[in-house]
Amino acid sequence: MSSIQWPFPKARFTSGISSAANQRVQRWAKKRQGIDKAVTTLRPGRVYILPTGVGLIYALMSFAMLLGSMNYNNNLSFVLTFMLAGLGFVAMHQCQRNLVGLELSFAGVEPVFAGQSAQFRVAVSNHSKSPRYGVMLYADKSVSEVHDLPPGESRVFTLAVKTDRRGWIQLERFGVRTFFPFELFRSWAWMHMNLRGLVYPAAADDAPRPPPTQSAQGHRQHDARGEEDFAGLRRFHEGDSPRHVAWKAYARSGQLLSKQFAGADTSSQWFDFNSVPTEDIEQRLSILARWITDTDQSRADYGLRLPRREFPPAHGEAHRQQCLEALALFGLDDANG
Amino acid sequence: MAKPRGTDGSLLASLPWTLAALALAIVPHVQFLPIWITAAFVACCAWRYAIEQRRMLLPATWVRALLALACFLGVLITYSSVSGVGPGSALLAIMAALKLLETRKRRDQFVLLFISIFLVMSSLLREQFMWSLPYLMIAVLLIMTAWLRMSATQAESATSSFRTSSRLLMYAFPLALAMWVFFPRIATPFWAVPIDTSSGTTGISDTMSPGDISSLSLSDEVAFRVTFDDAIPQPRDRYWRGLVLHSFNGRSWSGREHATDRSARDKIVVSGAPIAYTVTMEPTRQQWVFALDIPYTWSLARTTMGSQHQLARVQPIDQRIAYDAVSYTEYQTDVDKADIFPRRSLDLPEGSNPRTRELAQTMYAAAGSKSAFIESVLQKFHQEEYFYTLQPPALGNNPVDAFLFNTQQGFCEHYASAFAVMMRSAGIPARIVLGYQGGELNPKAGHLIVRQSDAHAWTEVWLEGIGWRRVDPTAAVAPERIDAGMSGSMLNGAAAAWGLSAPSAFLHNLGLSWDAVNAKWNDLVLGYGPDKQNELMQKLGMQEPDWRKMMLTMIGLVIGMVILISLLLALRYRTPRPDKAAILYRTFVKKSGISIAVGESPTRFAARAQAESELDEELIDDVTTEYLHARYGAPDSQSLQRLQQTVSQL
Repeated sequence: MSSIQWPFPKARFTSGISSAANQRVQRWAKKRQGIDKAVTTLRPGRVYILPTGVGLIYALMSFAMLLGSMNYNNNLSFVLTFMLAGLGFVAMHQCQRNLVGLELSFAGVEPVFAGQSAQFRVAVSNHSKSPRYGVMLYADKSVSEVHDLPPGESRVFTLAVKTDRRGWIQLERFGVRTFFPFELFRSWAWMHMNLRGLVYPAAADDAPRPPPTQSAQGHRQHDARGEEDFAGLRRFHEGDSPRHVAWKAYARSGQLLSKQFAGADTSSQWFDFNSVPTEDIEQRLSILARWITDTDQSRADYGLRLPRREFPPAHGEAHRQQCLEALALFGLDDANG
Repeated sequence: MAKPRGTDGSLLASLPWTLAALALAIVPHVQFLPIWITAAFVACCAWRYAIEQRRMLLPATWVRALLALACFLGVLITYSSVSGVGPGSALLAIMAALKLLETRKRRDQFVLLFISIFLVMSSLLREQFMWSLPYLMIAVLLIMTAWLRMSATQAESATSSFRTSSRLLMYAFPLALAMWVFFPRIATPFWAVPIDTSSGTTGISDTMSPGDISSLSLSDEVAFRVTFDDAIPQPRDRYWRGLVLHSFNGRSWSGREHATDRSARDKIVVSGAPIAYTVTMEPTRQQWVFALDIPYTWSLARTTMGSQHQLARVQPIDQRIAYDAVSYTEYQTDVDKADIFPRRSLDLPEGSNPRTRELAQTMYAAAGSKSAFIESVLQKFHQEEYFYTLQPPALGNNPVDAFLFNTQQGFCEHYASAFAVMMRSAGIPARIVLGYQGGELNPKAGHLIVRQSDAHAWTEVWLEGIGWRRVDPTAAVAPERIDAGMSGSMLNGAAAAWGLSAPSAFLHNLGLSWDAVNAKWNDLVLGYGPDKQNELMQKLGMQEPDWRKMMLTMIGLVIGMVILISLLLALRYRTPRPDKAAILYRTFVKKSGISIAVGESPTRFAARAQAESELDEELIDDVTTEYLHARYGAPDSQSLQRLQQTVSQL
């Protein structure tokens, strides 16, 4: 939609306003509106509107046509001029009404690795009886796809936000806007939902090979089958050894369960923060993230040992997420969050 | 070089709409544009269409630059100017055609649509017919629909764009009407309007060469319409004075220059009853203003009387105008010999038309007095074999001689010219007046229609103690031409002689009705100028209307209406409160055993429920359809009832 800004070369929230003034305006808007709830309906008072570049040209053209009509004293060209001017007024109100009453609700964001874009999902619902056209979401450096919203319908918009380091990515403010109709006006609303998404450390590309499994090192040789410290039962996963299936439990309940054992398993690995062969903390986290994702793909069990935290070997999506989240928030102030 | 098209997602789905809008905008120009411009426009449209269809390359920059240069030079050669409505719209058409060849993005289409709007406007500057109003409405509708299509998502159908732009235009209409009525009109233009030479002038020309033109066009086009305040004068008094020709070179009469003479009007001595009337004149692109002989007061701005009592406006009449005037049919002018310029009105070139001079001098000597001489010349035309015809033979180097002695056939110009030459030969100052004579009464509207075919030439002679006196030699030859008017004499004379049947009374009546509607249209819409506006304001109760008051009223009205429209829109876009349907739907969701996810619409929830819930698939479909219908569809109590029934089955 960058051509909307034409003839102004660069896309901005408000054309022609310097970024300092822009920030002041945004602070003012935030102070005025307060923090929004996760489900917010747009009141008319918070939908702002300004003409676009095309709108300014349209106004200029209408004025030129007015002068021409006056000069030629031509009543039909007065009709044309005033029709266009009237359409301008109508378009202004139509543009604002195209947003007012929409309901925005946060629909979640998947964690990503640093360097990837976090996809914030926001659902926009139209509860009115009239369709809304050309609605889009935008943030500082990204614009979502454009959707029409028929009466009673909802659409989930995704806002891609670039991430560069692990931790929480904040989406303090985003906006919803429309150029409908005619793109003469841009009406928008700023949303302050304080959305945040998790960013895992980037998985290192040049990671050293993961440490060999403990069984290969000869640890607990006698315990090769790992059947000693029974820890509990869990749902059977594909790839679990049939030896570990709790057949008795299966006979009772008809459900396939695997026995879980504490301690080493022949196929399990421990990734220890302290034994990663590098000094830099971020680098270590990166390498750990790489080991976890690779091992996760091979469906082997793995455990993660961080200073003060430990995740016993396991596999599966939940385990992977737990481990990566611990890496993402490692050493951060709100790491317990 | 242009990038391969289609590879960057730049195929323009909305281009056909833009093309249609552009084509409609150019249609009224076609009859005025040189044929090569229309051809170039059509060719560029076809080229562009082929590019879009076959995903060809857009022409290279140097090709476009070359084309642009060629076209610009073409316009310059055709018009020898680039300002004015004619060359202006030609340039716009060329710009649009060339822009089509480089239109790659949406923003290029903005340019095309802006050009379309300007083309529509320039067509209105050129002509304002009754169909111009519906035309401009349709054009705006199409342009605005194209505008919407430009930014429409793929999901939005063309019909819905069309409906949206129609709806917005409907909202805009009252606003436009208020602005149109109250926006203060001014009488004088800001800048000189260039004369459009391309479309030529209509009406009477400002030279007269009776020997050269061998036929007179019988155009039925309206020259002007007149509404009289009181009774309509008799046909023989309906002489509409236009311009006066006084210099004769042996072949043709001229007198184009208009010298404003402030004392000219003071030299008119009037008697009898004044005749007040309003003239609505069609554009002639000449400066002459027509009025009943002889005009005494007139309301048209920047219009002055020349020394020969002809009226002219400073700038040419390039659009329909209306003015009030008061005339007197009984008058005397320039009684004092010092007021006229005897040399100018007696001048005859040496050696031209010798036989006419000789004849005039003989006749003058025989008559004895000037008035007797005039009478005898008229008698000569009346009694001898002189014929009134619209298709006289061509005359030679001494056209007056040839006419008087050889052909003896002609129309008003021939008789006026011959008569004036004879007068001058006898030492009587004489001049030619060009204008219109007669006019047809339209009984349906009560006005007089003066057509181009009513154009007429007569003479004025100056007599001691009397001043200028009108003498119409044509009346001596064809009195019915004067009494019944041109159309009358045509119907009974010329047309019948050629074996043409006169148009049936029905068709004639139809024509008169159409003329009445046209006159009303001119009066109401096109003639709405400063005076009419003032009148209307007073009728609406505005005391001493001036532009400030009108402007304030206009702004107030527009603000009021915009607020109203805003309320209307608020009503249209309001969110209905949770009603019975919503409560019933909630019960259904509860029974389904799964909950609605964030941002999930009823249709999506229905799809998920059919997969995950134990409820009957058909039932889910029914509930969803009825719920959507009850809540978002047209007000309808039946779907609510059905919803209630379906939910109670759960």
